[in-house]
Amino acid sequence: MIKKLLISPLGWLLGILLSLGICMAALFLGSIDVQTLMNTDIGSKILWDIRVPRVLLAFVIGASLSLAGVLIQSNVRNPLADPSLIGVSAGAALGAALMIVLADSVDFQAQYYIPIAAFIGGILATMAVLKLGRNDMPGGMALLILAGIAINVVAASLIGLLTYLATDSALRLITFWSLGSLASANYFWLILCSIALLLVCIWLPRQHRKLDAILLGQAEANTMGVDVKRLQIQSIVFVALLAALAVSACGIIGFIGLVTPHIGRMLIGASHRFLLPLSFFLGGSLLVIADGIARTIIAPAELPIGIVTALIGAPVFIWLLIREGKRLQW
Amino acid sequence: MVMKINGLSLKRNGKHILKNISGELEGGKIIALLGPNGAGKSTLIQSMARLLECEGDIELQGQAITNFSAEKLAQNLAYLPQHSQLQFPLEVEEVLSLATLPFALTKLQQRQQVKQVIQDWGIEPLAHKDFRQLSGGEQQRCQIARTYLQLSNMKHINESREVGCGLWLLDEPSSSLDLEHQQQLQKVCRQAANEGHCVIIVLHDLNQALHLADDVWLLQEGKLRAQGSVTDVMTEELISEVFNVTARRIEDSGKYFFIFS
Repeated sequence: MIKKLLISPLGWLLGILLSLGICMAALFLGSIDVQTLMNTDIGSKILWDIRVPRVLLAFVIGASLSLAGVLIQSNVRNPLADPSLIGVSAGAALGAALMIVLADSVDFQAQYYIPIAAFIGGILATMAVLKLGRNDMPGGMALLILAGIAINVVAASLIGLLTYLATDSALRLITFWSLGSLASANYFWLILCSIALLLVCIWLPRQHRKLDAILLGQAEANTMGVDVKRLQIQSIVFVALLAALAVSACGIIGFIGLVTPHIGRMLIGASHRFLLPLSFFLGGSLLVIADGIARTIIAPAELPIGIVTALIGAPVFIWLLIREGKRLQW
Repeated sequence: MVMKINGLSLKRNGKHILKNISGELEGGKIIALLGPNGAGKSTLIQSMARLLECEGDIELQGQAITNFSAEKLAQNLAYLPQHSQLQFPLEVEEVLSLATLPFALTKLQQRQQVKQVIQDWGIEPLAHKDFRQLSGGEQQRCQIARTYLQLSNMKHINESREVGCGLWLLDEPSSSLDLEHQQQLQKVCRQAANEGHCVIIVLHDLNQALHLADDVWLLQEGKLRAQGSVTDVMTEELISEVFNVTARRIEDSGKYFFIFS
C-alpha cells in the first residue's frame, strides 16, 4: 500500500511537499520566532544569513550522504557499507584535526582553512583507498572495503595522536569537528554542496537499472551489458565528492548514509528507480529534523548533530540488524 | 559459428587451470561440459563469458571477444552463474526485467516480455515476492528464466527470417531443480537450440547429458580430454577412466543409459 503510493507519480509530489514542509517548519524553530525576526534589521539578517542557509545546507547534506550511502552499498553489494567505510570521512577529519593543531600552535586564524584541509584529507584518503584496493579481478570490491578499514584505522590513530599534542582549545575544536555541526553553515558551502549534489543528480537517472544489475552480482551485471568497473569507479568518485564536501562543510555526521537507504528499501524495495529519489528526500528531511532537534533540545546551547544522528541512527540500525537477521537467518 | 576458441589457457598461482583448449561452438547445438570436480568446467564457461582474463583467442560472432563493449557482449551471450546471492530486496519481476537491459526496447515491450516469460515459466505466484525469500530451486528457475529472456532477444536476420544467434552459458543450472523443472529446462534448452542459439551447459548428471546434449566436451585437469558427439565421447572406457568409476552403458529402445558401480 505504502509502496504503491510512494512509487506512483503522487509519491514525487508527496516527497517534495513533505520536504518543503519540514524545511519551513525548521525555519520557524528557534529562540526567536520568524515574525519578530522579520521586523528588525538584525533579525532578518539572522534569518537570511543563519537560519535559511543552515536549514538548506542540512537538507543538501542529508540528501548527499544518503545518496552516497545508496551508491556505495549497491556497488559493494554490502548492506552494511556506508561512505565513511571507504575512508572519506576519516581522511577529512584527519585533515581538519591537522589544520586545527597546526593553526593553534602558530596562533593563526584557521576557521576558513579547516574545511579546505578536510576536503583535501578526504580526497587523499579516498585516493589511497582506491590505489590500495585496485584490483582488476572480480570481487575487487572486497579488497576496497578492507583498504577503507585500514585507512580508517590509520586516520583514527593519527587523530588520536594529534589530540595528545593539542591544547585544550584545539582539542575542543577537534571534538566539535568529529561530532559534526551545522552551526557554521553559510552560503559558500551551501552552493558548493548543492553543485556537487546537482552533478550527481544529473548523472544518476541513467544508472538506475545498471545499479539494479550490480545487486544481482558482478558476473551477472557484466554479462547483462553493464561495464561494472567503469560504473564502480564513477560511483566511488561521486561518493568521495559528496562525502568529502559534506564533512568539510559540517564535520562527520554518521549514520545518515547508512540508515536512510535501509529505511528506503524497507518502504519500497531495492529497485534504484524509486530508491534513489526516495533516499534523496528522506535523507534531506531526516537531517533537517535532526538539526532541528540538535539546536533546540538544550537551547540556548546546542548539541553536535553527530550525536543526534547517532542516537537516533544506532538503535534503528540495531533494530534493522535483528529484523534482517530473523528474516534471512544469517 | 557463434564462438571459436583457440589455444585458451589460464594460470592461477602458477598452476594451469585451463590448458590449451580449442573448439568451435555452432548455433543450433547443445554442448555439455563434463568432467570431475576441479576439471575446469566453471572456469571455462566463465572465460567464454569474458569474466576471466586468459591467454589465447576467443572469437564471438567472428570478432575478438575483447573488442566487444559490455553492452554488445550482452547482446550476444547470456550467462547463468553457478551461485548467485542477492543481499537486497528486489522483486522477482524486477530481477527478470533486468534481462532486457542490453536491448533497446520500449518500456511497453519490456513489460510485455517480462509478463510473457513469467507466464511461460509458471512463476506467476512468485512475481512480486522478494527474490531472497524464494527457495534455492525457485531462485534458480527465475535466474534461468532471466537469462532465457535475454537470449531470446538475440536475433539476426538470416535469409530474410529472424534466427537466434546467441550463446547461452549455463553453469550447473539443474543442481537444485526438481524432476519436473529439470525436464522443463531440457525442453527450453532444446527450444533455444532449435531457434538457432548455441547452448553450453555444465552438468554433473551424465545421463541427463546423454539425453540432452548433441556434443560433449570432456574436461580433465584443465585439458580437453575428448570432444565430439555424445555417443562418440561418452563411451564406457572414457567415462570410467575420467571419472574414476566403473561405468556401463546400456541401450534401451534406442536410448543410452549409464549405470555406475
